[in-house]
Amino acid sequence: MDTWKEFDQNVISHSAAHHLMAIDDLIGKLGYARVSDIARQLNITRGSVSISLQPLKKAGLVEQDENRHLRLSERGQALVAAIKTKRHLMQRLLAEVLGVDAEQAEIDACKLEHLVSNETARRLLSFLRFLDAQPGRIRDIVTAWNAFDQQCDRDPARCPICADECLAENVSDQPQQGSCP
Amino acid sequence: MTGLSKSEVVAELNRLFAEEVEAALRYLHLSHAVRGTDYLLVGPVLNKGFQETIEHAEVIAHKIRALGAVPRLELNLSLGPQSVAAREALELALTFEEAALEAYQDALHKVEGDVPLEEFIRSQIVTESEHVAELKQLLVE
Repeated sequence: MDTWKEFDQNVISHSAAHHLMAIDDLIGKLGYARVSDIARQLNITRGSVSISLQPLKKAGLVEQDENRHLRLSERGQALVAAIKTKRHLMQRLLAEVLGVDAEQAEIDACKLEHLVSNETARRLLSFLRFLDAQPGRIRDIVTAWNAFDQQCDRDPARCPICADECLAENVSDQPQQGSCP
Repeated sequence: MTGLSKSEVVAELNRLFAEEVEAALRYLHLSHAVRGTDYLLVGPVLNKGFQETIEHAEVIAHKIRALGAVPRLELNLSLGPQSVAAREALELALTFEEAALEAYQDALHKVEGDVPLEEFIRSQIVTESEHVAELKQLLVE
């Protein structure tokens, strides 16, 4: 299977995910969501919002009433719930388990939230439940891991994971990509 | 005078400026995304749309300058290399023209009391309404 093509098979794009989340958020805060509210929330033009909403309406994820108020369909709500859950799980994994800086964890979770499969999310949820049920054990593992991590001398010959090249070198000092609104 | 402060009026005009510039860029892109005989059908309409929206953007930029500010433009736009059919191009144009019309209608409520600005926005509403009507007419089955 061409795994890389899976990216394009995704149900919704990153931008679409943010439009759906904005509708959900605005309805929660204001009780309604209009194109102008979404444009303001996402800091983009109304034209851009209107264009982005077209495929979401066609896909039956968003509905618009006669007052031009937008709402999520049942499927849209389910999708938003899944995205929010995935973001939360990814954020926890990155920040609490891997020790990624909280702000970076939020950015990366935002980038991944709509790409992660439900299967992976379910396994991640199970893993975090396991960790929460045994708080002492995770602290011990993270402490042991941090001590181990400091031992990395970037020599592939002595590394149990690297083969011909130092993988840590490949991901060192990568420039930061843009954040999510 | 309007209840808005000068900076709030500028912010409102900046929003309209962004709508028009983005619409102009979309028209420009669409006019080159329709191919073959489809271009013969809708190319002139899209080119006219580009000219008019860029002119509107310029007028708004002048209004912002007249208030002693510099236009602020922030766009989030990515337009793909796929060709677009004539009808789809007109439907897209109608979508962002309607959005621009609504933006002006909202702005009108906000600048109530500032007669010159009100008049300017009213005239824009008339123009945008005409664009929307023209596009709707072209899309009649």
